[in-house]
Amino acid sequence: MISKKDFKKISDYLWEIPKSFRFDMRVPARIYTSERMLEDVFRDRSIGQLINIATLPGIVNYSLAMPDIHEGYGFPIGGVAAMDIKEGVISPGGVGYDINCGVRLLKSDLTQKEAQPHLENLADEIQKEVPSGLGRGRQIKLDIASINKILEGGVSTLVKRGYGEKEDIENCEASGRMEQADTSTVSDRAKNRGRGQVGTLGSGNHFIEVQKVEEIFDEKVAKVFGLFKDQIVIMIHTGSRGLGHQIATDYIKVMMQAMAKYDIRLPDRELAACPINSPEGQRYFKAMAAGANYAWSNRHMIAHYVRKSWKRILGEKEELKLLYDVAHNIAKIEEHEVNGKIMKLVVHRKGATRAFPAGHPEVPQEYRDVGQPVLIPGSMGTASYVCVGTEKSKEAWYTVNHGAGRIMSRRAATRKFPGAEVVRNLEQKGIIVKCRSFRGIAEEAPLAYKDIDNVVEVVHNAGLSKKVARLIPLAVIKGE
Amino acid sequence: MKYQILEHTADLKIKVFGKDKKELFENVLIGMFEGAEYKGEDKKVKRKIKVSSSDLPSLLVDFLSEVLYLSETNWEVYHKIQFAEFDDKNLKATLIGKKLERIGVQIKGATWHGLDLHQKKDRTWEATILFDI
Repeated sequence: MISKKDFKKISDYLWEIPKSFRFDMRVPARIYTSERMLEDVFRDRSIGQLINIATLPGIVNYSLAMPDIHEGYGFPIGGVAAMDIKEGVISPGGVGYDINCGVRLLKSDLTQKEAQPHLENLADEIQKEVPSGLGRGRQIKLDIASINKILEGGVSTLVKRGYGEKEDIENCEASGRMEQADTSTVSDRAKNRGRGQVGTLGSGNHFIEVQKVEEIFDEKVAKVFGLFKDQIVIMIHTGSRGLGHQIATDYIKVMMQAMAKYDIRLPDRELAACPINSPEGQRYFKAMAAGANYAWSNRHMIAHYVRKSWKRILGEKEELKLLYDVAHNIAKIEEHEVNGKIMKLVVHRKGATRAFPAGHPEVPQEYRDVGQPVLIPGSMGTASYVCVGTEKSKEAWYTVNHGAGRIMSRRAATRKFPGAEVVRNLEQKGIIVKCRSFRGIAEEAPLAYKDIDNVVEVVHNAGLSKKVARLIPLAVIKGE
Repeated sequence: MKYQILEHTADLKIKVFGKDKKELFENVLIGMFEGAEYKGEDKKVKRKIKVSSSDLPSLLVDFLSEVLYLSETNWEVYHKIQFAEFDDKNLKATLIGKKLERIGVQIKGATWHGLDLHQKKDRTWEATILFDI
């Protein structure tokens, strides 16, 4: 059993398991957390999973975990690993089944006071307008040719067709398109699953929230991001849906069969990986990029429906601008400094957010002087944060956490918190809840997660990103 | 008991029992859909399925991946398997089920994480499997 004594304290917010801990580790394993929260990680097997990542071929410096770490499959959720592009591997398990699950934030010009009387109607309208993709609501089936265009072109494909505007491309991570996407690497089954799901929310922890800016921590950066106190903003959290799940399923199988050929042996089959430069690695990366483009397009289309609802309820002149859109589950080729030299790395972020600093060329022009907006959703009914990337997070491949992090299983949460009671508690706090099943609500009960304020405090104090604004929910809309 | 839901922080983990491999596969199917609360309506459906894999654990995961694909694209839920052919590497069968009415939480994938499948001393079979949800 791993315990606190196995960790070396590097700073108040950074802890390390040395390479010597297990014979097969190639690098140490590090976790960003506070001393108090370190106890939480022993509740499940997430640290064992973090150690498993440290055994992957080509891993550089260390395997990393963010303070919202919890047990996943293969990689833990909140796990980060950078591999040398020359000799490293790429692992679908380091991205997850929900490729480019992520968050986008839309900002309005209205304050809470102005919007409050309309919120109930707005929440109803959004629920009607945005299909869950689970059998209810509007169903549009695109043909395979349209799916191919989305997989290749991402958000710009939809903008060309009249959905959304130019700023929606500029203010999206990677401009809403990974250029490596290649539709020939995506199976027909994946495409088929994607046909009816562009602009659908899904289930589980996916949601749309109407929020207000409760507190501003950094006036200067908030101004650049276009945020002000009491402002109404809308957050959208979902991913690549069935299409992404199928790509992951397909390639985990491919890699598991190919691993022997490359003499790769791993402690967990779900970590299946192949060299990034192998045919299998390349094909997965291109398919994953296509899946990522689909996810950005999915969130973009949902934003289109949300805007439609917003205008219908708040007035045709009222706008919702895209602040930013970030991926939480993705692998990217990036350049980073390692021992004084620039190296090309494949950075896996599974339940983690990229957070580039001021001046980085991949930060949209509008924000380049201050840094990339980092969007960290809390659990349902709790606060969310907008942060900004810093130079200090270089040590973490410019990465921060992606949320609060579960501490209680869905089953335990369902047993402990009856859905009706969770809804009542949220309503007592003045939060409007639109959800079709009580189970969906019970599983996502706020107490099933770590406290988001504590988690964000860790990354703020560790210097991985700086707090800009705290957002609190006014209305929650869930797919199921 | 056909199956049992185990504790897992974020996902759906089940332990499944069967007197033989065929019953084990059917009970995994039932446990997966019941565990995620896939509810069917009255209309009955049948769906042909054919899977080939390198070994028995792969066959189970590939079978479930195929079932999830069929369920999502046809909007159906299944509870019974009529086997036409079955060995450790191949499976040919008809799935019996219903049109889907609603889903509690959508299953993203059947994973290899901690996958266990074995025959016990009393000759019955047992499997543990984790689904990403």
